[in-house]
Order: sequence, then structure tokens, then C-alpha cells
Amino acid sequence: MDAPTDRDLILRARRGDAEAFGELVTRYQASVFNVCYRMTHERREAEDLAQETFLRAHSRLGTFDIQREFGPWIRRVAANLCLNRLEAQRPVSELDDERDADPTQSPEAALEVRERSEQIRGALASLPAQYRAVIELRHYQELSYNEISAELNLPLSGVKSHLFRARKLLAERLK
Amino acid sequence: MIHLTDELLNEYLDHELADRAPVENHLAACADCAARLAALKALFTELESLPELELTHSLAARFLPDPVPTPQLPRWLTLTACLQAALALTVIMAAAPFVTNLLPAIKTPSITEILNQLQSLWIAWLDFLSSFSLPAIPQFPPIEISSLVLSLILAGVSLLWLVGNGLFLKNQIK
Repeated sequence: MDAPTDRDLILRARRGDAEAFGELVTRYQASVFNVCYRMTHERREAEDLAQETFLRAHSRLGTFDIQREFGPWIRRVAANLCLNRLEAQRPVSELDDERDADPTQSPEAALEVRERSEQIRGALASLPAQYRAVIELRHYQELSYNEISAELNLPLSGVKSHLFRARKLLAERLK
Repeated sequence: MIHLTDELLNEYLDHELADRAPVENHLAACADCAARLAALKALFTELESLPELELTHSLAARFLPDPVPTPQLPRWLTLTACLQAALALTVIMAAAPFVTNLLPAIKTPSITEILNQLQSLWIAWLDFLSSFSLPAIPQFPPIEISSLVLSLILAGVSLLWLVGNGLFLKNQIK
């Protein structure tokens, strides 16, 4: 039997089927968590934010436009939630000692990748919250300038300048 | 030569330029701008090659209903039941040779005899049915109701039904 589509699961979840929403969470939890981790660079906080994203999605399921795709929508909700949290916190939280590991790589190559990934994550975490958000939405969620503008409620010129400055800072810090 | 601005290079790589030809023409002729574009592209590649991490635990559990606990029998009861079953099995095995000796002595009816008995029961049942009659129903005196009264009664009952259902559903609609 074919697996139910996201649309089926959303319709069932709207009728109060907890298992259907649980299945949606299972499908998207990894990508949502990774959005939160790129934005916060702290595992515990990223997990809390991912959980909060799903709670928020659950409460908004009634108004969700069923014609839209659930995955991109929930990742945008996550990015916005992280941005709000970061702006409320202001001081940059202590960076996580999480490392990017791939069990299929040789130990030396894995170490190299881990170190470089860590540098990139560190550089991302050092950016102002708005810069992190535009990088997340452009590079990882592949939104256009207009879509980012609508999502973050920023003028188009603001999106462009945030992106250019964020990339400039990243390039300097990753030299 | 006037070089391309950083903004233009960013928009070029983001595919946000309506007219890409002028930038491409310039890049073909200008090594400096081509090198700046390559550096920016390398940053894009690095950012987008960041590996995804795995969660340490599932987030779905919070949304799933609590599993219904399966009733657990007390340990002593389970043990007693096991012992009883083992004892019964042992007794059956020990008694089997004696029972086998006794079996021929028990007279069991043949299939023909059973069918004959069933047939006689069926005939008796048919006889009973053929002689059965319902008790007489007492006659009531006829009630004279005019069509007007009957219509009024029907209208009243319908109205009561509607009001009653309306009151009953009022809270649910809210």
C-alpha cells in the first residue's frame, strides 16, 4: 500500500488524528531541526525550536492552505521562529561542540570535513540574526529575493543588502 | 575598465538578473571580475555543502497518543497457570493408555441413527407448525377522527419535533 501523501496526513490531522500529525513530524523533523541548527548552532536549542515549530504548525493546521507544500512551509516557519528567538536573545549563545560526522568517510577526511563544517557553522552563528535568516532562506530553502522579502517582511533592497553583507562577512571569516 | 559591482555579481549568481548577457560579456573579457565571481561561487558551494545533522531523538513522540498499557497478570498467577497446564498435560499423558482400553466399551451412535433422530425431530416440528394458530386479537371500537383534526395533530407533532431537535443541536452548533 502506498504511503499517505502529506495532504492526506494534514486532512486527517485536522480531524484530530494525532498519529497522522506524528507521521508528518517524522517526515520533516530532520530538515526542520537542521534549519534550527544552522540558525542557532546549538543542538539543545535547535531541538527545542524544532519542537516548537511543530507545535506552532499543529495549532495553525486549520488555516494552512492545503494547496501549498507542507515541507517548504514548515521550514519557513522554523526559520522565522529561530529569527524571532535570536532577536529576542541578542547576545550570541555559546557555540555547540557538535561536530559533523559522516561514518562512511575515512577518519582523516571526516576530521577535515568536520573542521571545515564547524568553521562554516561558526561563521554563520557569528552573523547578526537577520543575516542568518536571509542566508538560510536563500541558500538552504532556495527562496527568491521577492519570497524572502515577503517572508521576513523586509523591503527588496533590504534583502539584497543583507545578503551581500552576510556573504561578505562569511567570506572574510572563512578565509 | 569599469568592473562589475559586488551587488551585481551576487544577483547574477542568485539568478535574479533579468538581463544576464551584459554581465556574461564583461566576465568573458575581465579576469578580475571572473576571479571575484569564482570566489563568490566557492562560498556558495561551501555553504550549500554543509552536511545535515541527525536528531538524537524523535520529535514525533510528543504528538502521538499515549500507548494503551497491556494489562499485566501478577507473576504468581502466571506461574500457577503454567504449573496447572503442565500438570494437566502430565495427567493426560499418564491416563492415555487406560482411556484407550476403555474406549471400545463406550457405545457411540452411528451417523445413520443420528440422521434418523434428526429427521423425526424435524417431522415433529412441522406437525407442530401446521397445527399452530395465533390467539384471537380483541376488537377495539373504531375511533372517528376528522381529517382536519388529524392534520392539526400531524402539524403539532412536526413542530414539536423541529423545536426539540433545534434545542438539542443548539449547543453542538455553538
